[in-house]
Amino acid sequence: MRIVCPFCGERELGEFTYLGDAKPVRPVAGASEDEVFDYVYLRDNVAGATSEYWYHGGGCRAWLKVSRNTLTHEISAVEPAAGAGAAKVGA
Amino acid sequence: MASAQTHRLSNGGLVDRSAPLNFRFDGKAFSGFQGDTLASALIANGVKLVGRSFKYHRPRGILTSGSEEPNALVELRTGARREPNTKATTAELYDGLEAASQNRWPSLRHDVMSVNQLFAPIFVAGFYYKTFMWPAKFWEAIYEPAIRRAAGLGRAAGVADPDHYDKAWAHCDVLIAGSGPAGLAAALAAGRSGARVILCEEDFTLGGRLLSDGGTIDGLPAAAWLSKTLDELAAMPDVRITTRTTLFGVYDGGTYGAIERVSDHLPSPPEHQVRQRLWRIVAKRCVVAAGAIERPIVFAGNDTPGVMMASAMRTYVARYAATPAKRIALFTNNEDGWRTVETALGAGLQIAAVIDARPEVSPAHRSLASKGGFPVLHGSVSGVDGGKDGVRKIAVSLTGGSRAEVEADGLAVSGGWNPAVGLTSFHRGRPKWSDDISAFVPDGAPPGMVAVGAANGDFGLGACLSQGFAAGATAAHDTGHNDKAGIAPVADDEAFSLAPLWHVAGKGKAFVDYQHDVTASDIELAQREGFESVEHLKRYTTLGMATDQGKTSNVAGLAIMAAVSGRSIPETGTTIYRPPYVPVAIGAFAGHHRDETFHATRLTPSHHWAVEQGAIFVDTGLWKRAQWYPRAGEKDWLESVTREVKAVRSGVGFCDVSTLGKIDVHGPDAGAFLDRVYINTFSSLAVDKARYGLMLREDGIVYDDGTTSRLAEDHYFLTTTTAKAGLVMQHLEFCRQVLFPELDVQLTSVSDQWAQFSIAGPKTRDLLREIVDPAEDLSNEGFPFMGAREVALRGGLKARLFRISFSGEMAFEISVPARFGDAMARNLMLAGAPFGVTPYGTEALGVMRVEKGHIAGPELSGTTTAADLGLGKMMSTKKDYIGRVMAGREALVAPDRQVVVGIKPVDKARRLRSGAHIIPKGQTPGPGNDQGYVTSVCFSPTLDQWIGLALVERGRERIGEIVHAHDPLRGEDYDVELCNPVFYDPDGGRQRG
Amino acid sequence: MVDFSWTPRSPLEKALVTGAHGARGIEAGVSLTEIRNFDLVQVMARRGKAADMAKAAKACFGVAPPDAPKALQTPDATLIWSGPDQFFVLSKGGKHAMDTLAPALSGSASLSDQSHARALISVSGIQARAMLAKLSSIDLHAASFPIGAAAATSMDHTSVTLWRGADREDGLPAFNLLMFATFAESLWHTMLDSAGEYGVTISHSEDFA
Repeated sequence: MRIVCPFCGERELGEFTYLGDAKPVRPVAGASEDEVFDYVYLRDNVAGATSEYWYHGGGCRAWLKVSRNTLTHEISAVEPAAGAGAAKVGA
Repeated sequence: MASAQTHRLSNGGLVDRSAPLNFRFDGKAFSGFQGDTLASALIANGVKLVGRSFKYHRPRGILTSGSEEPNALVELRTGARREPNTKATTAELYDGLEAASQNRWPSLRHDVMSVNQLFAPIFVAGFYYKTFMWPAKFWEAIYEPAIRRAAGLGRAAGVADPDHYDKAWAHCDVLIAGSGPAGLAAALAAGRSGARVILCEEDFTLGGRLLSDGGTIDGLPAAAWLSKTLDELAAMPDVRITTRTTLFGVYDGGTYGAIERVSDHLPSPPEHQVRQRLWRIVAKRCVVAAGAIERPIVFAGNDTPGVMMASAMRTYVARYAATPAKRIALFTNNEDGWRTVETALGAGLQIAAVIDARPEVSPAHRSLASKGGFPVLHGSVSGVDGGKDGVRKIAVSLTGGSRAEVEADGLAVSGGWNPAVGLTSFHRGRPKWSDDISAFVPDGAPPGMVAVGAANGDFGLGACLSQGFAAGATAAHDTGHNDKAGIAPVADDEAFSLAPLWHVAGKGKAFVDYQHDVTASDIELAQREGFESVEHLKRYTTLGMATDQGKTSNVAGLAIMAAVSGRSIPETGTTIYRPPYVPVAIGAFAGHHRDETFHATRLTPSHHWAVEQGAIFVDTGLWKRAQWYPRAGEKDWLESVTREVKAVRSGVGFCDVSTLGKIDVHGPDAGAFLDRVYINTFSSLAVDKARYGLMLREDGIVYDDGTTSRLAEDHYFLTTTTAKAGLVMQHLEFCRQVLFPELDVQLTSVSDQWAQFSIAGPKTRDLLREIVDPAEDLSNEGFPFMGAREVALRGGLKARLFRISFSGEMAFEISVPARFGDAMARNLMLAGAPFGVTPYGTEALGVMRVEKGHIAGPELSGTTTAADLGLGKMMSTKKDYIGRVMAGREALVAPDRQVVVGIKPVDKARRLRSGAHIIPKGQTPGPGNDQGYVTSVCFSPTLDQWIGLALVERGRERIGEIVHAHDPLRGEDYDVELCNPVFYDPDGGRQRG
Repeated sequence: MVDFSWTPRSPLEKALVTGAHGARGIEAGVSLTEIRNFDLVQVMARRGKAADMAKAAKACFGVAPPDAPKALQTPDATLIWSGPDQFFVLSKGGKHAMDTLAPALSGSASLSDQSHARALISVSGIQARAMLAKLSSIDLHAASFPIGAAAATSMDHTSVTLWRGADREDGLPAFNLLMFATFAESLWHTMLDSAGEYGVTISHSEDFA
């Protein structure tokens, strides 16, 4: 499998580490236990298009959001995490 | 003296008669020529019997001339290089080659186990499932060893492989599998267009079927066209052609696996050369021109030595000038089989008869028959009279019901051709049935791949060339190259007609899968017993599960299943195709990564100094760490470690702790960032101060710990445990980039920048004053406990000094840029000589941390909370941090959790061992009353007894209680007392002093 | 009082044996040269300050740092892309060492000294690409990896920085490899194994090639 890192270009799988579903968003400070429980534990088991976090640890160390089809392994899009690089994020 | 090559033609073929090669088969000397395979050389010497079959130990000969061979498997080479199940049909002959037949005892000709044939009725499909079911306990002790002895094919060498293997990457626009006419045409078109091309050919000679079948291309004889084409390709710098290389797998994203047999054709690899090389090829496009495999027809006695695929028979004659038989019969159901007749007659061999299952043969062939003086019999072969010395007579069932007999010493068989659909089907693709050729053909292919020529079910030479050329041109165009492919080579297509025939009813065993001894009746039995699905059929009968993966047998097997179950072949379907297409040695997958180089190794900056000191090293993850430094006269590790601990506790010692992960955390929000990843607060840490920090996983369990120092307002220096260094960096990057991107913080691993040493013991300051510039104040006031700052060293070097202690002693950690680490170790020895400085290893480090009750890897086990470790009070209630919410869940704060506590044996002389279970005293050990386990133990030189740490239910409330330690693994039972985990200096006066 | 000397020691001091290695009787296809005692600084832009960092860097080096996987050669430093909004400054002699760069760049960037955290090896020769193909999954074909191309990548599961320098005087390609110091000896042996069949010339130098 090969992933096109938005910074480095196409690279082989061995440079990347898989984390998991990129859909859950970490609840803000003060969130309830239920919300955090969902964030930590609840995952869809998707047959089809998913969005996943991958880490290009064997390359530029950017965290990436990879859109992948779990049935075909086809990767349709790769985008950097909001905080990869030095762009100012939020206010 | 090598025996004469009695079955070698005096001229023709692609063997070099000026280069004779001597070899041995089963100890007997033979000779062959350069250009031979072991199989062709055996044939040239009249050898017909080459092995015994897997289950029934039936005599077997050579069936094919390629990598699909199911029968002619030998042990190649001797000693440590002995390799079982090597196909004689692909093994290149070299001078001095030694091979032995397999699966026979005491000899190939007189094999005791061939009595298995007499018991054949019991060796039916599902034999193992049916026979070795009861009693269950017999399986490991009796059945399996017996089966292994009896049923094994070749013998592995049993010693380490002396050869080297490596792995390499290759990149191209167009990857081509196969150098037959289709593959070469594709290479021409793509290469002329300027594409980067890699062409992999399994054989050691390029040309594919052109080498055996000839033909006319662009008006030239095949050999001339081949030579001209290879010259043109050789002149293209971006066309790379590799022989002895099989494309075996297709992986996601246009990645392909290929195995190159770099030195298999040599007695042993030259110095500095590998035996085989595994290629990972990244290709934008792939043209599969892998050809087709001729398939057998299943009839009684079809495994008799001398029965051979028709195409193989003419390959041996035409390419190798070796004659498998002098008087040949052909059994065919198609036009192509007749080529063998033409080749044989051309070589002066006799044709005994052609048995053609079709109702008609062409006028041309009819006249060939009359010219050659042999009969054409319409019907099929129903039996073979012969044995280990080969075919004698062939029984024929003629169309209309009568019978005939043909005397011949060789029988060529052609049941048609199966396109090699493996590569196109490796992404769970299923080939589709083609009625035109009665075979499965590719139905689509993985992205970027296309099959051409025979691999696509188009067998004609003209079609192979035009399809290959078009595919090569398209692939080049698709990968951004010009359309300068030029004109495609042209040839005529041969006539093709075929009457499907899979199985001829008859008396005697009719083999479908030769290598696994699966017969037609096994398939019929499987159907009767309900194993109709092809996947069930495969596993129940083991059809297609041998090392040849059913290349000659799968289609026939499922055709027979289709017939007996009353379905069509496409309804019956195929099993799933999976790589590798040919067996690949594990050594090739391992490549460089074996033995000492199994994985990369990390060395500390003082490693070679420690080697000079005679240190014993331990593998800690990838690291080699000095475990202890034995001295002359010390009888065991415990004596050395005890000395090292005592030296530190009474004087001064040092230890290289560079293996800790070190991360620069920079930026205006660095403090805020650390507040979110640690349970305790770092934004309030003063510059030039260090603080112990603990981080949780988001589920509330402890992740890692370490000391983090604030070196400047916007610069923290964070340390991790050795084990988690990489993972913590990844985690922190996730926090920075994904969870908290609004924070202005930058992370850099500086693990390798700093050589860090722990210096510990009451004389630490004395030693440091020798090293550090006298202007630096190291007093308790000038450099208090948990101080951290840059200092100047004598001689001008700058270092970082941290007043932290893992041993419980007065201690500092000092770090210098890594290239000075070696000098630091040497200088500490010099400077410390007056104080008896003692280098200590990880073992003494561990002893002192247990004495001090510090947690480490065994306690940071992925199941413990901060409170379990006695660090619950560090959890800030004033901020959000990773794991905070989940750490408050009911089960994680339950009062009966297992928490860290000290243990001491009641019998002071007793040795403790980690892993023992803690059971309440007086109770019988069992899962119901298991209250925890011992995590860390050591012999404490300070207390002069074994001590330990344990995770025990409500442990801290039970200090003073006697409990039972139960160690079923080592058969030990003893009582221990629960105690304060801080065995040494519980007030901490020593480290603060 | 003991007289100390602080002699730097390369992580390859022990493993690197100058001279010929591997196949003999052929012209060595690979040259491996360790460059010792260099200055290497990691520069990472602070949030929202990438442009400021580039400007400040341009004032230091005369060129803006690479914003894509490339290596820029200036008269006295090499700027090598190491990730988004970050780069390495590789130099000799202290002109662009940590202490001199920090004042110029620290307003817009965070700096970490990595001078001792890496070993630097120059790989060149007619078989340099063939040898590197055993270690690197990067396509090093001249058209795909021209002079000045760089990659943050992995070899033997270990992070490395690889870039193509100017061709040698004899026209053969030259690649530079920054590897983690604690992995250096291990990776060095892997490199020697990979290069052995081509014949290797081994040396070390205090100067850049």
